[in-house]
Amino acid sequence: MKPEENTGIVGWGAYIPRYRLPLKEIVRIWGFSEETPKGLNTIEKAVAGRDEDAITMGWEAALNALKRAGIDPKLIGGVWFGTESKPYAVKPSATVIAEALGITPDTMATDLEFACRAASESLRLSIAAVASGMVKYGLVIGSDTAQANPGDILEFTASSAAAAFIVGLSKEAVAVFEASYTYVTDTPDFWRRAYIPYPLHGEAFTGQPAYFHHIESAVRGLFKKTGLKPDDFDYAIFHQPNGTFPLRVAKRLGFPKEKVLPGLLTPYIGNSYNASALIGLAKVLDEAKPGQRILLAPFGSGAGSDAYSIVVTEKVLERQAKAPRVVDYLNRKKIIDYALYAKYRNIIKKI
Amino acid sequence: MKYSIARYWRERHSHYRLKAVRCLDCNRVNYPPSTICRYCGSKNLEEIELFEQARLLTWSVIHAATEGFEDYKPIIIAIVELVDSKVKILTQLTDIDLDEIKPGMLLEPVLRRVSEDDATGIIQYAIKYRPVLKRGD
Repeated sequence: MKPEENTGIVGWGAYIPRYRLPLKEIVRIWGFSEETPKGLNTIEKAVAGRDEDAITMGWEAALNALKRAGIDPKLIGGVWFGTESKPYAVKPSATVIAEALGITPDTMATDLEFACRAASESLRLSIAAVASGMVKYGLVIGSDTAQANPGDILEFTASSAAAAFIVGLSKEAVAVFEASYTYVTDTPDFWRRAYIPYPLHGEAFTGQPAYFHHIESAVRGLFKKTGLKPDDFDYAIFHQPNGTFPLRVAKRLGFPKEKVLPGLLTPYIGNSYNASALIGLAKVLDEAKPGQRILLAPFGSGAGSDAYSIVVTEKVLERQAKAPRVVDYLNRKKIIDYALYAKYRNIIKKI
Repeated sequence: MKYSIARYWRERHSHYRLKAVRCLDCNRVNYPPSTICRYCGSKNLEEIELFEQARLLTWSVIHAATEGFEDYKPIIIAIVELVDSKVKILTQLTDIDLDEIKPGMLLEPVLRRVSEDDATGIIQYAIKYRPVLKRGD
């Protein structure tokens, strides 16, 4: 038996902030062609309010995961927080959330950084910690208020959201990890240097050698490890930096788009970085039926991808309504203009 | 650095989880928590948490905020009555426009940033209240 099979998702939760910036606002301000956002298959992006950050969003997603899991927070032995927009450069975000949810002090807690896949690495770490018996439950959070240089193409999609999962033993799980596989290389497709407020990227270099190569390698690695093939899966969720890449990588791997669309949120909220693929998983779990199999393949620049095979259990049905669903957050929205977005994301220079 | 780190740390549970104390002699709830019941002077207290939905009683809008709070203007200060415990607390409203505020509206607690000690000091987090999220099921 693989270690993953002893573990699964006990509770899940998501969070999307209230505000949406229509991408035509970025076209209006920076003089892009109206065709540019169409090429990204994205209409609006979610924007965190002025009093929100990766910690507050991660807190709400984790609170929702706890409501679904129905466990005593004190039984969580590890809080792993994946982000690339830590409110503090030095001082853990994980401890604020752990304290606010009543998990402290008998727990591990740390922030992880690997561009958009730190939370996915957290998921693999939590599987290992639970499977070994080192902890009873692990809390994995992916949360980002993604930054982008104003006027850069990245600004169209860099958005804010969070997703959280409580990992425990498979006998309590709403979805069991059947297998997982990770593929990483040193590929400089996207980075942010110290003290620099916005990341830079390699334009087209972020595509084939980075996103596509790593996700395809991770998924094919999972197929080789398990003998599974695209037909065996009911859903396929990929990292979603825009609304087109996930559909393209799905086609290249042999998944029809009908299996991708239920977990594809970027067209409506943008790319929420560490929450990007994971909020897609949260939405699929909101709707999934027992026995269905999910492929999850997050990606992070720098670069790496993980592939998971996840099988939904009977317990999913009793927990779906115990917390707000992703669609409830999608439906709660207030359209804002570029000026309010600039204020909320703190990109107006003040002294 | 202008904020007292020790005070923020000492008060974190009442800010993060609405920790309070109930007096076992007069049964009144003290929020923020204290070591002596501010109603009867008893030291016979038990810790409780008030993390629950609330109804809006009254509010006021701050357009000229003090240092550390300026970026969060307009700040909506509210007195809300908690639905289960009936305790009234002073809080802030968030995720709401001024023209959406209605007396008696149902609210829920969320953790948010409250203030910042300049760009280099600590960030203060605390519970605010927002309109209850509408759910489809």
